[in-house]
Amino acid sequence: MADIDDLSKPLKTFSHLAKLKRRPSEYEIVSTNLIWSTEDPKRPWAMSPTVPLSKWYIQYRNESPLKHPDWNAFRDPEQIVYRTYNMMQDGQEAYVDGLLNDHNRTEHDKGLSASWLKTLVRLYTPGRYPIHALQMGSAYLVQLAHASTVENCAMFQAADQLRWLQRLAYRTKELSKFHPNAGFGTTERKAWEDDPAWQGFRELIEKTLIAYDWGEHFVALNLITKPAFDEAFLRQLGAAARNHGDTLFGLLSDAQLIDSERSRRWSKALIDFLVKVPGNQAVLDGWVKKWAPLADKAIEAYCSALPDSPDAASSAKAAARDWRKSLGLAA
Amino acid sequence: MALLDRSEWYDVARATNWTPRYVTETDLFPPDLSDPFGLPMTAWEAFDEPYKVSYREYVKVQREKDSNAYSVKAALSRSKYYDSADEGYLSLLKLHYGAVSLTEYQACQAQGRMSRFSKAPGMRNTATFGMMDEMRHTQLQLFFPHELLARDRQFDWAHEAAHTKNWAVLGGRHTMDDIMMTRDAITTSIMLSFAFETGLTNLQMVGLASDSEAMGDFTFSNMITSIQSDEARHAQLGTPSIEILIKNGKKAEAQKALDISFWRVWRLFAILTGIPMDYYIPLKNRHMSFKEFMHEWVIKQFARQLSDIGLEKPWYWDLFLDDIENHHHCQQGGIWSWRPTVWWNPPGAVGPKERAWLEQKYPGWNDSYGRYWDVITGNLLDGHEEKTHPNCIPVICNMCQIPVSNRPGPKWKARVYQLDYQGKRFNFCTPVCKWIFEQEPERYKDFETIVDRMFSGVIDPPTLPQVLIYMGIGVVSNGGRDGYDYSWVDGHRKQAAE
Repeated sequence: MADIDDLSKPLKTFSHLAKLKRRPSEYEIVSTNLIWSTEDPKRPWAMSPTVPLSKWYIQYRNESPLKHPDWNAFRDPEQIVYRTYNMMQDGQEAYVDGLLNDHNRTEHDKGLSASWLKTLVRLYTPGRYPIHALQMGSAYLVQLAHASTVENCAMFQAADQLRWLQRLAYRTKELSKFHPNAGFGTTERKAWEDDPAWQGFRELIEKTLIAYDWGEHFVALNLITKPAFDEAFLRQLGAAARNHGDTLFGLLSDAQLIDSERSRRWSKALIDFLVKVPGNQAVLDGWVKKWAPLADKAIEAYCSALPDSPDAASSAKAAARDWRKSLGLAA
Repeated sequence: MALLDRSEWYDVARATNWTPRYVTETDLFPPDLSDPFGLPMTAWEAFDEPYKVSYREYVKVQREKDSNAYSVKAALSRSKYYDSADEGYLSLLKLHYGAVSLTEYQACQAQGRMSRFSKAPGMRNTATFGMMDEMRHTQLQLFFPHELLARDRQFDWAHEAAHTKNWAVLGGRHTMDDIMMTRDAITTSIMLSFAFETGLTNLQMVGLASDSEAMGDFTFSNMITSIQSDEARHAQLGTPSIEILIKNGKKAEAQKALDISFWRVWRLFAILTGIPMDYYIPLKNRHMSFKEFMHEWVIKQFARQLSDIGLEKPWYWDLFLDDIENHHHCQQGGIWSWRPTVWWNPPGAVGPKERAWLEQKYPGWNDSYGRYWDVITGNLLDGHEEKTHPNCIPVICNMCQIPVSNRPGPKWKARVYQLDYQGKRFNFCTPVCKWIFEQEPERYKDFETIVDRMFSGVIDPPTLPQVLIYMGIGVVSNGGRDGYDYSWVDGHRKQAAE
């Protein structure tokens, strides 16, 4: 009889981790096997399987075509726990505070050209809508996750999106102080809802948000929409910003991309984990093929409005596609 | 110009509702997950969370809080505190961790639902922090008990409890699944954030922290206080929801959500908090009775909050006041008698001094609950320990999943409230649990209590050893025994000799 089965013997770790035969990491102790709704696929909750939320979990999570016999075996490649996330992000936020402070003192915003300000009010500050929508989508991944180790990654991602939503709100206000008549803080909703440059992303994001199958939502959000948005909005607008004397935007978008890269690393780890199961590759490829054209359209509409950036759309599309290819998926 | 103050840009970050064009609003916010009350999006845009925090502040403050909580633990882990800790107090810890750690984690998904499906942008952002808070509480409350595994295997329940079908777990999960896992975003904010977190848990943390401090367990007390400071923030999600519902003519709906959830949580809360306060904490360390605590922290304060917000006290308020006098005393008797079925070692702890204290705090205790313990004490004094283990099977409430019971003695009050529904008879502990069932029978009707499972063939054969295995006893750890190995009877033995 192994010690684990002998109840008179003390445990060195939680019994579910004892099979590791080594001392588990803090990450494993606090992050693994924490969901109780996956034990009975026909009845996620104690309430009747016919109540709307139970039906929702059964249909969109348990019966998703994306399958894994042991979702709990997934590991965040960086093994981030709550307290290390805050340490990392407190440091990152201190850096951003420093950027804002420095540029404020040198009156950076005052020196921006009138034409660049028009670009910012049209293509930058309305970004709070898609950034927040990506926060909502990430929260959906949390709500319906199969395993706590996946759920935690999605939670950090949702928090990252909230981070940049608030930083963008900050910048909107700051720009409006230097340029009170430029439309900052007043015209964003109209731009998001009506400006042709945004309609591709709006369509992509609205449709992503209602892709309720968990697997499809993950693909549409983390492999298609978020990378497309980050490539166009952060990388391409960031490059244009540098060419137009907006040093601050370039630095801020670099800082934001650090979070996006983390999202890509765990997304890659999850894809690596999933494609080992027969059948999943085809399911994933099918969703990528379904969603990628919408993302390309969104990038084209947005990037065509970027000033002096003839290659922006093709660069953004290629970057998003190359990343998906690197995951071994249909690009 | 220096850095902008949060108040200058905060509203921009919650001006994030837009009118969908490529999908319908109903698709984007399905009423079953979002708002079944049918308020327009603009009504929800008035949502104003009372406690505001920015992400920048959040990561800084939370980092500092964790640095404090984990460093206290590191310093105290070198102490021998737990080696000589009181067994009753250790039972409090085992019960707490088993009931709470993974429940906190399911709450991440509930917060995630509010974060995705609320039509109130302020709620979506606040719930994003709420989600992170619940992750923190899970991780703290797994990491801390992990260290205690080497001294006592019953701490394995901190992780395993929620994965078993222990009767106490079934009760806890039934309640939490009801109020936070199967409700739309708005109802969740009333049931979870307002009734549960504002009404009860926030205050439970206050009581628990002060109890553990009195016990000298500064690691736990410090951790709980730190958790409470997060709860105090995200618990405030509920009040703006209720205010908006009332303003839009939906007071009755908000009231009903409150009435259902407050009672459901209360039935659990009294076990989790009331029993340890009045029985597990050693007499010399008790700072107030559970009843005093309830009157001071819950009744006075929560009733005031209700009236401030424009809701009424739940219709069963008198029954609730009566339940404060009885429910946890009943369950202390029940849990102690069925101690082999739980993962902690509940102390009987009703020696002469404790009984005098109970009589003082709960006048009439000796003449009612005291009689129950008289029989037990008599059996123990006579050397008949085996007679302290009941042979019968209790009737379980079809709502709260807790054995039906009430005050024993001359004013015998125990009775079962029954309802026949679709050819099946349902039993309830109180008119309130019955009322909750009647509001939505289809929601509840097919859940089998632990006793139903003995008769329906789920637990097969329905013998005591098999029932215990089904409940995780003898699988995860051994079951409970008297926490003090009956030493509390010594006082009575001395008295009898004098």
